[in-house]
Amino acid sequence: MRIGPFEFVGPIPPAVSKPWKRSRDQFPGRLFVVEGIDGSGKSTQLSLLHKWLEAKGYGVVFSEWNSSPLVKDTTKLGKKKKLLTPATFSLIHATDFADRTERSILPLLKAGAAVLCDRYMYTAFARDVARGMDREWVRDLYGFAVPPTVAFYFRVPLETAIERLLDARDGFKFYEAGMDLDLSGDPEESFRLFQGRIINEYEKMIPEFGLTVIDATLPIEVQQARVRQIVTSHLANATELRVQP
Amino acid sequence: MRQTYGKLLPAVRMSDLGGKLIVIEGTDGVGRTTQINLLRPWLEELGHAVLDTGMTRSPLAGDGIRRAKEGNNLGRVTQTLFYATDFVDRLENEIVPALRAGFIVLTDRYVYSLMARAMVRGMDPEWVRSIFRVALKPDAVFYLRLGIEKLVPRVVFSRGFDYWESGMDLYPGYDMYDSFRAYQAALLAEFDRLSEEFKFETVDASGEPKKVFAQLKVKVQRVLGTDSSAVSVPMLKAAVGGRSGREISLPCAAEPGPEAVDFGRVEWPVAVAIAHTN
Repeated sequence: MRIGPFEFVGPIPPAVSKPWKRSRDQFPGRLFVVEGIDGSGKSTQLSLLHKWLEAKGYGVVFSEWNSSPLVKDTTKLGKKKKLLTPATFSLIHATDFADRTERSILPLLKAGAAVLCDRYMYTAFARDVARGMDREWVRDLYGFAVPPTVAFYFRVPLETAIERLLDARDGFKFYEAGMDLDLSGDPEESFRLFQGRIINEYEKMIPEFGLTVIDATLPIEVQQARVRQIVTSHLANATELRVQP
Repeated sequence: MRQTYGKLLPAVRMSDLGGKLIVIEGTDGVGRTTQINLLRPWLEELGHAVLDTGMTRSPLAGDGIRRAKEGNNLGRVTQTLFYATDFVDRLENEIVPALRAGFIVLTDRYVYSLMARAMVRGMDPEWVRSIFRVALKPDAVFYLRLGIEKLVPRVVFSRGFDYWESGMDLYPGYDMYDSFRAYQAALLAEFDRLSEEFKFETVDASGEPKKVFAQLKVKVQRVLGTDSSAVSVPMLKAAVGGRSGREISLPCAAEPGPEAVDFGRVEWPVAVAIAHTN
C-alpha cells in the first residue's frame, strides 16, 4: 500500500500506545480513590486530603464520577427520561469513566500528578451488579482502568448513611434509590434495599481488590489522620511526583 | 432458543425471540444502505414485517455520539464504549421487541463493525469481544466485500471523504486520501479475520447494486426457509385477531406499508407478549 511517497506491505498499525495491561504505579503520578455508599462521608474526606496535598506542594487533580463533559448530557437525558436499563446504565457510566481516563486521569498520572477520584470503577462493580448485571462482564468492561495506588472504602452502617442523607436533603433520586428495579414503591425503602445490595458487593470487593477499609463512623479528624498516614507512605518513594516549586 | 455470545442482559428475556435477525456488514461505502433499501420493500411485499436499524440511531446515545464526533477530543476507549451504549440501547428497545413480535430485523452493521473499528484503533481484542458478549447471535451475517482498489474510487466519486470514515483520528499528518486508504485497508483486514471467526457469508459487492441485490435475495430466502419462523403480516393479523387464551399486545400496528415501522420506546421491563407461531 502507498502512503504518501512510501510503499507499505499490509495495513499500517496506528501510532498509538496500547492502553492495556497496566500495573499499579507504573506511572510517576499516584492515584488515590475513595469509595462507599452515599452518605458515607467519603467526599468530605477526599476534599480534606486534597487541601492537605496542595498545601504540601503536590500537583493535585480531582476527578469526579459521572462528570465527563462529552458524555454527561447523554447520561442526564437517560436519567431524566428514564431510558436507562441496567445494561445501558452500566455502559454510559463506563463511557464517562473512559473519557475521564483518556482525557485526564492517564495523562496526568504520566505527568506526575497526585490524582484524586471521588468514586472509581468499584462504584460500577457494586451498582451494576446490584442492578443484575453479570459480575464478570462489568469487570471486563473496565479493563482499561488504571489500578489505583490506594482505594479507600468508607464503611458505614446503612442506617447511619440514611440518617445523614435525610438530614442533608429532601429525598432520593430515582436511579440512586434503585427505583428502576421495582424493589419497593417507597423511595426510602427502595433506597434501603438497593444500597444494602451495594454494601454486599463492596464487602466482597475488599479482599478481591485489596480495598483499604476506613471506619466511617469514627470522628472526621480520626478518619482523615488515618487516610493521610496511608497516603504519606505511598508518597515517600514516589520520587517523580510533581512538587510545585 | 436464541443465543447470545455468552452473557445475558437482565432486561432481555431470551424465550420467544422468534423473527429473524439479519445483519448486513461491510466497510464504509460498500453499499450496505443501498441494499437494505432494496431488501426492505421486497421483504414487505412478501408479507414480512421488517424493522431496520443501524448505528447511532438510538434515542439514548445517538445525539451524544454525533455531538462528540463534531469535536476533536473523542478518545478511542470512549468512542468504543459510546457506540456500545448505542448498540445495547437499540438491542434492548428495538431489536429484541421486534424479534419477539416476529419481525425480520435488518441491521445495517452490527457488533462486528464496532469490533473492527475498535481493534484498528489499538483496543485489546479480548476486551472488545468481552463487551459484545451480550449481543444476540444473528441468523445470518452478509458481508459485502469490496477490495480497497475498488472501494476508494467508489467513495471518492460518490460522497467524498469524511473525517471519521477516513480514520483521520488515527493517521494525523496524512491527507484524507492516504488516510482513507490506510484506514479502510486496516478495517478490511480486520473484517476478513472476523469473517472467519463469526462465519460471515461473503457477498461480492463489486457489481451493480441490482446484481448484488439478486445475490442477497437468494441468500436471504435461504435464511427465511419455507417454514419461515418469521411471522408474515397475515399471520400476525390472525394472531392479533383473537386466538383465545394468550394475551397479545403489539407495540404498533403491523400493517404492511412503505413507511418505517416505528416501535417507539418500550418500557423496561419489556411489556410485549405475543403468541409465537412456531
